[in-house]
Amino acid sequence: MSGQSLPRDAGRLLSPEAESRIFLRLRATIAWETLRSMLSSARLRLTLVILLSMMFWGSLYGLFVESFTFLDSLYTEVISFLFNAFFSSLMVMLIFSTGILVYSGMYSSPESRLLLTLPARSEAIFSHKFQEAIWFSSWGFVLLGSPMLVAYGVVREAPWTYFLLLLPFMLSFVVIPATLGSICCMAMVAWLPKLRLHALSIAVTVACIAALWLGWSAMAPGRTAHPSSAWLEETFLRLSVTEQKLFPSWWLSSGLIESARKGTPAESFASLLDALKFLALLIANGMLLQLLAAWLAGHSYRLGYSQLLGEVPRRRRRPISWFDRTLTHAGSAAGRPLRLLLVKDLRLFRRDVAQWSQFVIFFGLLGLYFLNLQSFYYNNIYASLIGFLNLAVVGLILSTFTTRFVFPMISLEGRRFWILGLLPVHRDQIVWSKFLFSFLGSLLPCCSLVLLSDLMLGIPLAVMLIHELCCVMLCLGLSGIAVGLGARMPDLRESSPSKLSSGFGGTLSLVLSATYIMVVVSVAAIPTHLFLAMHVLGSGTAGQGFLAWASGWQGTVASLVLVVTVGALATALPLRLGIKAFRKLEP
Amino acid sequence: MIEFDHMTRTYGPKLAVADLTLAIPRGELFALLGPNGAGKTTTIKILVGLLQPSRGAVRVCGFDLVRDPRNAHLHIGYVPDEPCLYDKLTGREFLWFIADMFGMPKHPAEQHIAKEIEHFELGEFVDDLAESYSLGMKQRLVFAAALLHNPDVLVLDEPMVGLDPRSVRIVKDLLKARTQDGMTVFMSTHTLAMAEEMADRVGIMVRGQLRFLGTIAELREQMALETMSLEQLYLQLTSSQSSPPPRDRPDGVS
Repeated sequence: MSGQSLPRDAGRLLSPEAESRIFLRLRATIAWETLRSMLSSARLRLTLVILLSMMFWGSLYGLFVESFTFLDSLYTEVISFLFNAFFSSLMVMLIFSTGILVYSGMYSSPESRLLLTLPARSEAIFSHKFQEAIWFSSWGFVLLGSPMLVAYGVVREAPWTYFLLLLPFMLSFVVIPATLGSICCMAMVAWLPKLRLHALSIAVTVACIAALWLGWSAMAPGRTAHPSSAWLEETFLRLSVTEQKLFPSWWLSSGLIESARKGTPAESFASLLDALKFLALLIANGMLLQLLAAWLAGHSYRLGYSQLLGEVPRRRRRPISWFDRTLTHAGSAAGRPLRLLLVKDLRLFRRDVAQWSQFVIFFGLLGLYFLNLQSFYYNNIYASLIGFLNLAVVGLILSTFTTRFVFPMISLEGRRFWILGLLPVHRDQIVWSKFLFSFLGSLLPCCSLVLLSDLMLGIPLAVMLIHELCCVMLCLGLSGIAVGLGARMPDLRESSPSKLSSGFGGTLSLVLSATYIMVVVSVAAIPTHLFLAMHVLGSGTAGQGFLAWASGWQGTVASLVLVVTVGALATALPLRLGIKAFRKLEP
Repeated sequence: MIEFDHMTRTYGPKLAVADLTLAIPRGELFALLGPNGAGKTTTIKILVGLLQPSRGAVRVCGFDLVRDPRNAHLHIGYVPDEPCLYDKLTGREFLWFIADMFGMPKHPAEQHIAKEIEHFELGEFVDDLAESYSLGMKQRLVFAAALLHNPDVLVLDEPMVGLDPRSVRIVKDLLKARTQDGMTVFMSTHTLAMAEEMADRVGIMVRGQLRFLGTIAELREQMALETMSLEQLYLQLTSSQSSPPPRDRPDGVS
């Protein structure tokens, strides 16, 4: 080997355009490689994602076509209100989500540590991380917003220019809140380092309270009970705050409505010109904010990064919580190792903000939605239907958590396996501790949410009990599937939970969980609905033979027995498979 | 090449590096030694522009790291203690990215990349994705990337972590050759033997202060005077009760 160096011919500072090209090439290469590895190793997941996205898009499109057709016949002004409310709430969400993504990309990622030691402009690094963040924060907007806007254009029979302008309108809009979020993030890190956490928590709290207030005031029962025209007017009056003409959301709504307007050729042309003016307004403001953000990055990024890196973590002595102490010492000595493992997992969960914050956000949003259910009026059939749908939603959200956080738990023990392996603990107990952790942890929030939904819907006690039983079986089965498959298909060398959950095992766990939820909810829902159809709506003439049996108490009991049997199988089989495999596992 | 000018860095109330004044000339291999928490990593992070000094200045090839970081970075190659790569890039793609960022023209970049692949024996895996690399492979690739633009100053933070003995030998030979060519190396290490074998001068840092600065010969001289082994002397210098050794400060330190 020779240590001779080559002649020095490097050392040229790049132009901004050249830097942009290099970062663009970097992102394109990474995206291509990611897609290639997904195509080769995660085809099932990719196919599922594409199929589910298409189904989701199609369902939303259908729903929006129906809704716009209905609303169009009532008031044309309604659309403007709806667009403003939708886009303004989206704007607030994009400010927060992009701010958080820019923070993690620019200040806490290993990549930023590399980039800051290269002769790259701070503005270029910001732009690179911003483009990454805007992609992650706004794809949901495209998935949710595009069926709505396409459906609007189809219902209004909008000219072709409307469809042509959709994408430019959406893209130019998302840049504004995303850049605002980035500016707030960089300014806070550079100039309010001590206040950063406080400022963020205050801002999030204020936004949550505002969202709660808006949601509540829009949905709370007013003077008029039914969703009549008076009720709509009252609701729109409450939402008028979103109609501020200085909001980019108003520019977007107005631009879209103008571009969809029909009329004589002269009128259409005038509307198109108006729409283009709104588009220009969005683009101009987006560009201005981008300039401001780039200037800020140039002046504050390195300073902010240095301040953040130089922060001394507060050393807090953590006393053992009363809950951990009680759990450790309660019960027999024989069960103590299991309880100690439970306490360990509980501590890790409590100290991992990513886990519990997602748990709180998703279940919190669901709780908020359930709280608003009583604003509407249902007959028994609809109440029961919505009750079972809510049960399925709780199950589906729980399944995403069990797949994302519980399935990888055994694999994540891989690097620490020597600790567990040397302890006087039977391997089965490790698997059981994960199962108990998942089951006990999910039981209370899920059952409470289902109870809340039933109370808000005014569902009879007997049906409430059926829902609760189903919920317990869902918690059992979903925990069994995630822990069992996690132990059956561990990857002890992988340290990233997201990679573990997005691999084959994780995807299989998600698919099985979704199937299990559908089976449990359908089996429990069918006799209840038959009963309501027969006895409440008075169509009892068809109540003969199997239908009479299924809609009676025998049918309900049989369905519950089936639910419990399916639940027991979904819990026991994967766990048994997992425990057997885990006993033989060689780390 | 490297100048620390009354550089101080604090973390809140804690003093991490205190009034460091130090000049390291062209072609010198300088090893910074010290126990955990002595301020070595802080010094290195300031030297590569990740941290900014609370007071004072740091210059590389005359460029101030705070005022003119881009020009300073053109002259620096950095090997961190934890290698950072893009999982979804191959080793070769990563080297091209670094070459592009340093503005290297295509043809010389090709030559440099081929040469570094050969130096660090990366050929077997350089076209695989970095996500499949072991720690040693990653570290070798990061070395290659740091040397790609033939920097005037190479900054190494615990450079031998994760390297096998053969790779350690490769790196040592390479550093010797490059310093003879005029490259300045600033290295932090826990390994006394490494500093003894490689360094022209060593600095021993304790609680943010430079307790000793001199050549290995000067350190040995002191060792002979006090009938101590190198390890004993190091332990005495870095112990919490010790005061700075009773000797004249050498040139380059205040």
